[in-house]
Amino acid sequence: MNNEPHIASAFDRDLEAIQAMIVRMAGLVETSLLQAAEALETRDEELADTVREGDKVIDDLELQINTEAARMIALRAPAASDLRTALSVIKIAASLERCGDYTKNLAKRSNVLAQLSPVGGSTRSIRRIAKAVQLQLAGAIDAYIKRDYDMAVEVRNRDKDIDQMYNALFREFLTHMMEDPRNITACMHLHFIAKNIERLGDHATGIAEQVIYLITGHLPEESRPKGSLPSSATKK
Amino acid sequence: MNNMIFLERNVEVEKNKISAQGVQVFYGENHALKDVNVDILDKTVTAFIGPSGCGKSTFLRCLNRMNDTIAGCRIVGDIRLDGEDIYEAAVDPVQLRAKVGMVFQKPNPFPKSIYDNVAYGPKIHGLSRSKAELDEIVETSLRRAALWNEVKDRLHAGATGLSGGQQQRLCIARAIATGPEVLLMDEPCSALDPIATAQVEQLIDELRSRYSVVIVTHSMQQAARVSQRTAFFHMGNLVEYGETGHIFTNPSDPRTESYITGRIG
Repeated sequence: MNNEPHIASAFDRDLEAIQAMIVRMAGLVETSLLQAAEALETRDEELADTVREGDKVIDDLELQINTEAARMIALRAPAASDLRTALSVIKIAASLERCGDYTKNLAKRSNVLAQLSPVGGSTRSIRRIAKAVQLQLAGAIDAYIKRDYDMAVEVRNRDKDIDQMYNALFREFLTHMMEDPRNITACMHLHFIAKNIERLGDHATGIAEQVIYLITGHLPEESRPKGSLPSSATKK
Repeated sequence: MNNMIFLERNVEVEKNKISAQGVQVFYGENHALKDVNVDILDKTVTAFIGPSGCGKSTFLRCLNRMNDTIAGCRIVGDIRLDGEDIYEAAVDPVQLRAKVGMVFQKPNPFPKSIYDNVAYGPKIHGLSRSKAELDEIVETSLRRAALWNEVKDRLHAGATGLSGGQQQRLCIARAIATGPEVLLMDEPCSALDPIATAQVEQLIDELRSRYSVVIVTHSMQQAARVSQRTAFFHMGNLVEYGETGHIFTNPSDPRTESYITGRIG
């Protein structure tokens, strides 16, 4: 990677500005993920509503990033690592926008769940996986800003831990539903929440892969380590 | 990913036209070019890029022995055109330059008619036996240079009355009238407006089906647009040579990266 400044310093300012928007967007997604998980556990409908409304800001930021990136490609004709930066901000912004949608959905379901009777300690487990995914996202963005290859690889490899947490939750919900069919509605919602958080983790992995592309010019070739599906989830 | 390469990027003939080995150039004490090794492909546009004074024009001028005319210039190494050493004593530089044509930065038509500009080379090299044959060479050359339709009704008007872009295409027609195999272009568009530049670039792309074209350009975007191979020169060294798309998306050498992203002058 190249850390020398450009001869045209305005180009450096543009690149920095657009990446600062990515950091801001990621920060908003992380906060809304943690808040949504908190709202779920504490049955705080007001907090959940804040998260739902906050998604608009995340969507607007994506639009703004895409506009700025298109402008930079048109005006500066970036090449090599600069071009990869321009392409990566577009992809990362799209990922983060999707993550924002997941947290919004989490908040929506949390308000539904607030009306139902609680199911064991499930919401605490959800909050734990949400925290783990938030750290993954923060790690991926950190690796992005520092252009740190090793850190990006680490994030990518840690995704299997998230998968394992999700699988454990899956089994937990299944147990609750078998124990008492009255738990089914709540557990279905909880399962969607868990699945969406797990997907959010996949987006963090995708961002880490973008970092690897940005640094090396290639996407990682070897497949990343994956946890196996829970045995009860595989088809007979 | 290899099967995804766009067709037009494919180089049709993977055959070397010019092969340079260990080329060094000295202007007196000044070591202008240090050990350049490069194989230039036939029927391919090769772009030389690099900051001023990097040696790209010096190397271009070695390819048709234009440096012979510079006092105090010494060339070491081996340059072969189709396997023949062009610096061998038996080689006539005038004949060589008929095979390796050149187009310069500023359009430089002779102060003669359009027709005479194109006919000049074939005449002095004795390439035509009759007026009819010469007429045909002039027409074909002007057609290949994408100028025929614009000038066919005023072939005997003065060439200096043409626009800059037309003059440059006339110079290209003049260069291809002697039936060259290689065309060297030193900044052929730097004196032209964007439309004339686009026309010349389109022409370069068409010429590639017949000739090996080597272009020196300061415009990296132009190199990216017209060439299939790019060579980056820096301080007398050939730093990197490879497929143009690769050079502009993921160059191997940090100096190439710095240059194409606008970090060193």
